[in-house]
Amino acid sequence: MPKQNNLEQKALDIIISRGEKGVLQSDLWREINASSREGSRISIRLENKGLIYREPELSRGRWTYRLYPKRQPVSIDSILNCPCLSCEETLRCGAGGKISPNDCDKLIEWVLKEDSG
Amino acid sequence: MPVVTDEMLIKVAKVIGGEEAVKIIEALNQSDEMTEDEIVAKTGVKLNDVRRILYRLHEHSIVSLRRIRDKDTGWFIFYWKAQKDQVEGFIISQKKRILEKLEMRLEHEKNHAFYYCYTPGCKRVTFEEATENLFRCPKCNKLLTYFDNRKIIEALSKKIERIKSEING
Repeated sequence: MPKQNNLEQKALDIIISRGEKGVLQSDLWREINASSREGSRISIRLENKGLIYREPELSRGRWTYRLYPKRQPVSIDSILNCPCLSCEETLRCGAGGKISPNDCDKLIEWVLKEDSG
Repeated sequence: MPVVTDEMLIKVAKVIGGEEAVKIIEALNQSDEMTEDEIVAKTGVKLNDVRRILYRLHEHSIVSLRRIRDKDTGWFIFYWKAQKDQVEGFIISQKKRILEKLEMRLEHEKNHAFYYCYTPGCKRVTFEEATENLFRCPKCNKLLTYFDNRKIIEALSKKIERIKSEING
């Protein structure tokens, strides 16, 4: 049986992946192979940790909660194509050095490309 | 508890070690922990490359390792594990590093007037450098004319604002 923390992380991952649509608590515990009691305890714990919020919803004649993520997942997209990420000179690159962001064509090419795209 | 998706874990692995790192991290993410031989069997990546990539991912704490000495052979067996909770830290530290460079460049662009010969392969020079060279390109010797860098300043400013807002949440 997976550890409680793993189940919490799994549940959080699913809630985050659904984003603004949210996920019904009653569907969530099925997806993570937990019992309804475990599922409800996990969602309460995630809410108490400030990671999600719950809104009551009537589904198939029963009251349940829809769970939404509170924080947006962290994303690398804004810097994904930045040349600095894979630049071999990165440790030597800095103010006053022989290699500097002030002199880097790749950096400006990237910024202009992202701006136009 | 980290708010990181599997998609982001994979993107970070790709940044650090390319397509083969993606295969390795996908395999690790599906199991609790794996030995190098198990990773090779599952991904088809060569053992040497698996080790090289694992160490690179380990440098950034994206994977962790546990070492056990084999009782029969006396050799160490390494068990590797994906550390999804470290991905957020990696992304934030990279954003801060890049932000610093972009801010430095923005200052440079704002504080200087630039001149350019408009020859592909040549670089823009500052007004001070242009006067030293009597407004001739130091590389191709063509005449230097004023270069309007407002587009660059605008693009840099936008990028800086976006990264700053992401860091500050």
